Amino acid sequence: MTALIIYLLIGAGLFLFLLVMARRKNTPVEGCGEEFVQARHALRALQLGLLPANLVERIFDRGDFEYVTAESSREICKLFLAERKRISLIWVGRVRGEIRNLMHFHLGYSRFQSKLSLRTELRLALDFVLLLFACRTLQLWLYLRGPYSAPAMVGIAAGAAARVCRISEQSLAFLNPVASDSFQNDSTTGGAAV
Amino acid sequence: MLSLLVWLMGLLLELAMLIRAVAGKTVTKFPYFYAYVFCVFGVSAGLYILNDVTPASYYRWYWPTQFATLVAGCGVIVEILRHTLEPYPGAERVARVASLGIFGLTFVYVGLKARMLPELTPLAVTVELERDLRVIEALLLTSILTIVFYYRIEIGRNARGLIVGFGAYVGTSLVALALRAFLGPRFNTTWGVLQSGSYLFALTVWMVALWSYYPQPVPSGRTRLDDDYEALAGATREVLHSLRSYFRRTARS
Repeated sequence: MTALIIYLLIGAGLFLFLLVMARRKNTPVEGCGEEFVQARHALRALQLGLLPANLVERIFDRGDFEYVTAESSREICKLFLAERKRISLIWVGRVRGEIRNLMHFHLGYSRFQSKLSLRTELRLALDFVLLLFACRTLQLWLYLRGPYSAPAMVGIAAGAAARVCRISEQSLAFLNPVASDSFQNDSTTGGAAV
Repeated sequence: MLSLLVWLMGLLLELAMLIRAVAGKTVTKFPYFYAYVFCVFGVSAGLYILNDVTPASYYRWYWPTQFATLVAGCGVIVEILRHTLEPYPGAERVARVASLGIFGLTFVYVGLKARMLPELTPLAVTVELERDLRVIEALLLTSILTIVFYYRIEIGRNARGLIVGFGAYVGTSLVALALRAFLGPRFNTTWGVLQSGSYLFALTVWMVALWSYYPQPVPSGRTRLDDDYEALAGATREVLHSLRSYFRRTARS
């Protein structure tokens, strides 16, 4: 009976995979260039839009809440708390999304590497999954306990994401625009202006 | 009568596929797959004639020839692997290691089982062997698809057809064989219908998907980062480890 269940499960699993493949949307095949641009975009979004210390402080700082509590009615306080919770959840969601983009960049890049190490790939896969899981946990925590329930964890998540950004930035450094002046100066006489 | 009709339809479809493959020159693109179809066609046609002339010989030849086509079926897996992952050496490497692992584990399992159940009749052994080989094929297909999904690899029309057809056939055969072993001879009729029905389905899918050759979509650009994998992977791993320890510390605090 156990053997029958195992065989049936393997068969059902295969059919499930076929179903997923049939329903799967076509992934873009623009190539590494496109993946790099997306990764660069994710990096910029994290570094300039989501992780600046003043923004993180602004969202999760208790000071605002204390001010509203002292100055306003209970309804206003409740509304403020609900709004702040919504913003904090959006923030974690965006951070998680951009980390996923960086993960896709790594996968899009490593799939071409003939020197790829299986052990390293397995470890990385596990690490990425754990980091994404941690973000999800933070999301759940903020949803259940409110925006001011885990300030340490928020700080760590933000710091961790910033460190991932720094590493990814090194990999993507070659995408930074190189001195465009040199092109302009190199133009031959009567040549097109750059 | 119905089974004979299905048999004939299968033969006709196989013949049509082979003719189309030669005419459309897809045979050169998928040699292992067409070798499998040719093998199945030869075996089916031979068994059909045997069944007509000497039905006793048919039963003697059925399982050995079935086993031969089963082994030839591995060519379809090779073809799927070749066409889906060949442009991606990294992903192909992962798939190759995973495939070897699956082969190894399954053969160890089959070997152990054969030692533990020596009282099985040759027919039962053959049926079990077929089921176990189907398990290998199912696991190989599943692992290839996992790698395809994980690395977000686009599958071309031909390879997609190969996977859908072969996957449906292997999945149905596996389930039918498992039920047959469990339920006994009373399941034989249903088993026959399921087996030939799924094979006809697979042939139809292959016929449509491989009518013409469509090259596998491959990302165009390869960048100068080709040699930096170790550095990138190492650095990323290091960062992720520190992240994990941070989260662990926070959770404890």
